Amino acid sequence: MADFVIDMRNVTVELDNRIILDDLDFSLKSTDFCYLIGTTGAGKSSFLKLLYRDLLPRYGDVQVGTFNVPRLKEKEVPMLRRSLGIVFQDFQLLPDRTVYENVAFALEVTGNKRSFIKKRVLECLALVGLSHKHANMPGDLSGGEQQRVVIARALANEPRIMLADEPTGNLDPEASRSIIQLLEQINNRGMAILLVTHNYDLVKSFPHRTLKLKNGKIYELSEQEIKDL
Amino acid sequence: MSAFYVVKEGIAGFKRARFAAFSSITAIALSLLLLAVLARVSFNAYELADSIRADVQVEIYLQDIDENRKNSIRQSLLEYSIVQEVEFVSREQAMEIFRADFGVESELLGNVNFLPASFKVITTPEARASEIQELVSEVRSYRGVEEVTFNQRGLELLEERLRVLIIVGILLGAFIGLIAMILVYNTIRLTIYSKKDLIKAMKLVGATNSFIKRPFMFEGVLQGLIASGVAILGMWALFQYVIPRYLPQAGVISWPFGEWYFLTGALIVLGLIMGYFSSRLAAKKFIRETGIS
Repeated sequence: MADFVIDMRNVTVELDNRIILDDLDFSLKSTDFCYLIGTTGAGKSSFLKLLYRDLLPRYGDVQVGTFNVPRLKEKEVPMLRRSLGIVFQDFQLLPDRTVYENVAFALEVTGNKRSFIKKRVLECLALVGLSHKHANMPGDLSGGEQQRVVIARALANEPRIMLADEPTGNLDPEASRSIIQLLEQINNRGMAILLVTHNYDLVKSFPHRTLKLKNGKIYELSEQEIKDL
Repeated sequence: MSAFYVVKEGIAGFKRARFAAFSSITAIALSLLLLAVLARVSFNAYELADSIRADVQVEIYLQDIDENRKNSIRQSLLEYSIVQEVEFVSREQAMEIFRADFGVESELLGNVNFLPASFKVITTPEARASEIQELVSEVRSYRGVEEVTFNQRGLELLEERLRVLIIVGILLGAFIGLIAMILVYNTIRLTIYSKKDLIKAMKLVGATNSFIKRPFMFEGVLQGLIASGVAILGMWALFQYVIPRYLPQAGVISWPFGEWYFLTGALIVLGLIMGYFSSRLAAKKFIRETGIS
């Protein structure tokens, strides 16, 4: 068996009696950087929700790392999520906490010691290039910087996979490019990246494996199809 | 889990929703204070009723009967479980009591003794009016018994009032307690809603539901504890200063079981229980519904 960190087989998802994902297969290797594109409502977010168990499939298997996601008991779900780094378009930062505290809390909730938390937070902030802003409040940062803090928080628990849902959706082109470059760096350090986006310019500028969701099915685009986006 | 984190977050939540926290603390404190007053008054009423019950006497007036019959009646009386003591009052002793009670006016009767001999029966404090009534009916049919008297109406009235007092007290206390718990529940719910982004972020990084819940429960317990403190201060002020000064005739109301710490301890425990359970319930329900599942 290949080194898959995500393996989905015959997955069907229904929402409000409508089929969102229809009998699809998908797998992601530990070294993959993969884009997931599709029009609004194509089911991209539902696809990600399946992986962090915010949604259950009607049929099919979803394997994430060692977790058989649909069969997880409720108390095992946090363990699954600790193995994932999740990044959203709308940052999800806590506005009343400093940059340091925003990253630290990912480690606090998983019960780490304070000395370890301090060391790890500084490492993550250094990785995203924000060590010098650790005492700032999120409101003092630009959109790109806020997204870097979210990425630092997602990295804190050393996940094997990062799920990013439109991470550049609220950013200007320059900030968007720097975020993709940062994610590529993270990918090079051995973390699988699954990035949902509808920013085709970025997909073309930083080409990687690209999948498209359409009518509930998933298609892998060829290099030419990527260029033609 | 770090206790420091739970305390820090619990206190922060408290500060964020100050008004809601203030209203639930006030509600718990008021309900605890009312329960304390009810408990103290009910306890005293119960003790008073007990002492009145202990004084209940059944008087059995006898015809002219011989010693054997008297002994036989005494034995029969002592067989009742509600009979604590049977005292024989001879005609002469009855006359002496009469003279002592009526003084010079009793001299008008000269040496005429019209009073019958009697048994004075003292019942146990636990004896109910209905049981005493049953004893009286049976004794009335004894051979050699002229008449039997006891203050049945007074005892029944006392029992009835006491029963009403206890039922009203319990219902009122439970009702106010319930309102207080609903207020705490709502406060915690508001706090949870105000922190829904935090909860969502916590879930995304793998926090367990119990981890997320604990600061909210700590907040509820803290509210209960503060409310207990307020209620205890209110109770002391009421019974040590307000009542003695403005209602001195009620100043005899004592601490339940004679010591201050029983009621004080009960208020602390009750406050903690109310805070804990209402916040736990709210946290369990609303954390599940907030953000991602």
